[in-house]
Parts: sequence; structure tokens; C-alpha cells
Amino acid sequence: MSLRLSDLSACFEGVIPSIIATASADGAPNISYLSHVVRVDGEHVALSNQFFAKTAANVRANPKVTLMLVDGLTGDQFLLDISFVRSIDAGPLFDRIAGQLAASSAQVGMSDVMRLRSADVFRVRGIEKVPSPVAATAPAPRRAPVDLPALADAIRAIGRQAEAGAIIDSLLCGVQQVLGYANALVLIHDSHRQSLITTGSIGYENSGLGSEIVSAGGMIGAAAASGQTIKVSDMSRVRRFGEAIGLEAGATENTTRTVVFPQLPMAMSQIAVPMVTRGVVAGVLFIESTERLAFSEEDAAALDILAGQAANALRASEGEAAAAEAGHATATPEPAATETDIRIVCHRFDDSVFVDGVYIVKGVAGALLRLMIEWRLGEGRSEFTNREMRLAAGARMPEIKDNLETRLLLLRRRLDEKQAPIRVVRIGRGRVRLEAGGPLALTVRD
Amino acid sequence: MTMTMRLDDRLLEFLRRPLMCIIAGVDQTGRPSAGRGVGFNVLEDRTTIDLIFSGWQWPRLVSDIRQTGRLAVTFVSPADYVSFQLKGRADLSETEVPNADHAARFITAATDELQRLGVAPHVIAPWLTAQGARLARLSIQEIYIQTPGPHAGMMTGAEVR
Repeated sequence: MSLRLSDLSACFEGVIPSIIATASADGAPNISYLSHVVRVDGEHVALSNQFFAKTAANVRANPKVTLMLVDGLTGDQFLLDISFVRSIDAGPLFDRIAGQLAASSAQVGMSDVMRLRSADVFRVRGIEKVPSPVAATAPAPRRAPVDLPALADAIRAIGRQAEAGAIIDSLLCGVQQVLGYANALVLIHDSHRQSLITTGSIGYENSGLGSEIVSAGGMIGAAAASGQTIKVSDMSRVRRFGEAIGLEAGATENTTRTVVFPQLPMAMSQIAVPMVTRGVVAGVLFIESTERLAFSEEDAAALDILAGQAANALRASEGEAAAAEAGHATATPEPAATETDIRIVCHRFDDSVFVDGVYIVKGVAGALLRLMIEWRLGEGRSEFTNREMRLAAGARMPEIKDNLETRLLLLRRRLDEKQAPIRVVRIGRGRVRLEAGGPLALTVRD
Repeated sequence: MTMTMRLDDRLLEFLRRPLMCIIAGVDQTGRPSAGRGVGFNVLEDRTTIDLIFSGWQWPRLVSDIRQTGRLAVTFVSPADYVSFQLKGRADLSETEVPNADHAARFITAATDELQRLGVAPHVIAPWLTAQGARLARLSIQEIYIQTPGPHAGMMTGAEVR
């Protein structure tokens, strides 16, 4: 049976370097390692070749090229007879290669020297497997195929949800049940803070809810900026991009107003999948595993489908919440005077909020909490609509027209996680209630 | 006129490190082939190097060397990617038996180094075999720095004449 490119998916992970042999017009061979090979389609591969002018000159003078690919799971080797088609330096394919190169060069510790200027596209004319001296041993375990009926169930489950929290929980549940990955995060894009904020989390000792990744930073930022899935398949030689392990999350939060990003010790594979709806990146689904080469092409495709469904559902949820009419506001009885005041401190410069000295949240979510507290204290009511919050805060934070629900979700989850004496409870479509266990004492600082 | 290049002390020092070795040949139609070397021995004159590879695993390399005698070999240090490429004319020795010790030492050093760098033993095993070992004697005509970076492709080594 002849081999197809799709049979070689574990060769395109960037874990084991590929090798390219070329020959000049006068027949002098040349051989070098390649930083990255990308499967374009069933008949073409693209190579990034930043350094070796001789290789580039040879393929233009003599299009006959031999490529050696190595399966990152088994070590099996393949020789590909390929011929040069064209060079590209812009467009979607170039962007895809540049994104994958950025991630895979990080995993071999060469991100500083890898800058893609152009990529060469080749037609694959033949593939042969190199004889292996260990072929007689038992076959190495292969990755299981994606369970499509389970994926369909997960897609339907996400589609049934109307509320942001349930949508994100359904997405994470799908990741766990369909693909079996136990450590995953959902980060929502926040253009106000130029960051991605962790809004959903499974499998980590510290949930990391409220932790931020700068939009331009690391593979999560790169996935959001490019709209491309980015994965790292072998981190054995990579320093993790996260913050230092060992920080006591709770203790530092109160002084730094920064939630520590969750860590999976011994992570070997990571994947960042943009959550795209109508061409806009709403957030990033991030998953990691202690296995090398954990994420197959099929896994990436399934995650792309799940993430897209969640992004669409979140967008619909924002629209429905925005359209909801205001209900009848009920007066809030002030808690008995004997109860201890709940001290709330808000800082204008970053919209951070502390409750009884405990850091809760900052940015848009912090501004919304302050708004609700001011309304409660000034107007004696505790039920609010998304619409009035959008009107009140929208002038300063125009992006909340698209993501108020996810900001409220982050606020609710942080208050719950910190066991704060105030809570924000969703009481209907586009409506929330601020509940407090005592009288509120608000201090606003610059 | 054909140049001959001599391996200088720095290159000899480099060749004492644990290395991986990749070899290219080319047939009469200009189609290149690729394979892996599993041992080498620098001869006394420092302008000739014997390369050991598996003829069983890389039969195209055998036929290409017989057809054209053109050969390129790149040695890379897996720990830091420092690499050098040697090019020249090669003869396939039909009579000399490759030195099994050279191949065994090379394979052991490379395997240990790759494992130290986190590559699993079962992944390395298919790459390094001396089954059907062949010996190609390369007369070195060109030496290039192949380390990724600004010096990649520059010539190096010492010219003999």
C-alpha cells in the first residue's frame, strides 16, 4: 500500500528535525536540517528555510529534492521525493507556517534566531518508509481517533446553553469527555486591558480565574493575534512561559493585584486554539498534557470545532442578554445595623476591587462591581440589567458591548472563589442581583 | 582546479563531541538522496574521512556514490546545533570492512546524548544501525559552517593547496 501524507501526521510536529537533501545544477549534493515542515494538503508540503542560502539556490536551479521526515512518536523515518513549486512570503498559508514555526522553534530553544521571511512549497511525488532495525518489535501505541458521535454530543451540549458560564463549562466538559484532556483553560479577550483573562478552568490546583496573559505574549497571545491554532509537542527543552512556580497565590494577589497563571507541573504538550466567531477572536481555549505529542491533527480539528461553537454561543448569549428588558427593581432592605460592615476598596487607576482586604478582580469586571455597589448605596436597589450597566460604563469601556456577560461571569466566579461576603447572582436573562452579607462601606481611591 | 581542504584543530575537536551525521548523494539525473552516518574515521592526512553508513537502510546512497561519487556530509552536535558540512568526492570501498568499533562508539555516544536531551530510546533506535555497513572514503574539497545563524553557509577549514 502506498503511503500518503496524511499517514505521516506525527512527522509534522516539529519535535524531531527533518532533513533536506538538494543538489546544485552541476550535481553537487547538499544536506542540512530543517527547522520546520508543514503539510499543506494531500500533495504538498511547505518548508521554512531561513538560513541556508545554498539549499534555497539549489531548489531553484534543480527542483529535485529529497526530504527525510521522522515520526515523533515512533522514530520511523520516511524519504519523500519532492519538487519545488513556488515561494511564498505572505497570505494565510504563510501565516500558518509562521505561527507553527514560532511555537516549534520555541520547543527547541531557538525562538530568538527563527524569523520566517519566506517559505517554499513543494509537490510530493513519492513517499517511502526507511527500513527500521526495530521493525519486528511490537508497534508503538498510536493516538486514538476522535470519537465523532461524542464530539457531536458535546457540540449540541454547548449549543443548548444560553448563559456564558454554562457555555464555558460545557466547552471544558467537552474537552474532557471527548478528548480526555484534564487540564484546560478558557481565556477571554479583553481589549481594554490588552490581555486575555482566564474565565474558565479545569484540572488545576489553583484555578487561575482572573489571571492574565498579555495579548502579544507566548503561544496563547500568538494564537489570539493570528487566529491560528498553535501547539508545542515536546517541552522537554523549553522553559515554561508561565510565572514562577511556588508563589503562594493568595498571598501575592493582595499585593500584586495579579492572579498567578495556573501551572501543570511536567507539562510536555500544549495547544492554544483561538475561539473565533464571525472572523473575530473572542478568546483562546488552552489545553496542556504531561504526554509528549499529545495533540494530534485530529485533536486540533476537534478542538477548533468545539472552540468555534463556544465562541458562537457566547456571542449569541451577549446579544440575548443585551436585548432583555429591565425587570421591576425591588428595594433592598439594608442588613441590620448590628452586622459588621463589608469594606470595599476600589482603585480608579486599574479598576481593581478589594473586599475586606482581599483582592477580587480588576479591569472591566472591577468597574462593573463598583458601579453596582454605587447604585446599591445611592439608589437602594440591588438588581441591575446588562443594558443599564452597558449604558453607564460603555462610554469609558466601549468593548463591553460585546463581552459584558463574560466580564460578569469572571466577577461572579472570583467572588465565589474568594468566598467574599458579597455575591453577584444571575436572576434572569441580562439581569443580576448584588447580594451582601452586611452593610457595604465603599472607599474609592485613585 | 580542484581544491583539497584539511580539517583544522578546531574541527577535529568538534568531531570528538557526541554527534549526529547525515549524508547526501546524488544520482546521474541530479536527484539527491539522504541517509544517516553511524561512524567515521579521519585519516592521517586530515583531508580524507571514512564514513560508515548502513547500506541496508540507505541503498540509494550506495547506488548514488557508485554513479557520481559526489557526496556531502553534515555533522551536528544535538546539544547546541553546532554543525559543519563537508563536501567532496567519495569512493565506496568494496573491500574494506568498516571498523565496527568506530560505529559502535558513534552510536553509543549519539544515543546517550539524545537521551540526555529528552528523546526516548525507542524513538532513537530506528535511526542508528550498522546493518549492512558500508564505507565511503571522502576526499574533502569544501567545508562549511552549518550552524543555524548568521555564519551559516560560510566556508571554513584550512586549504591545502
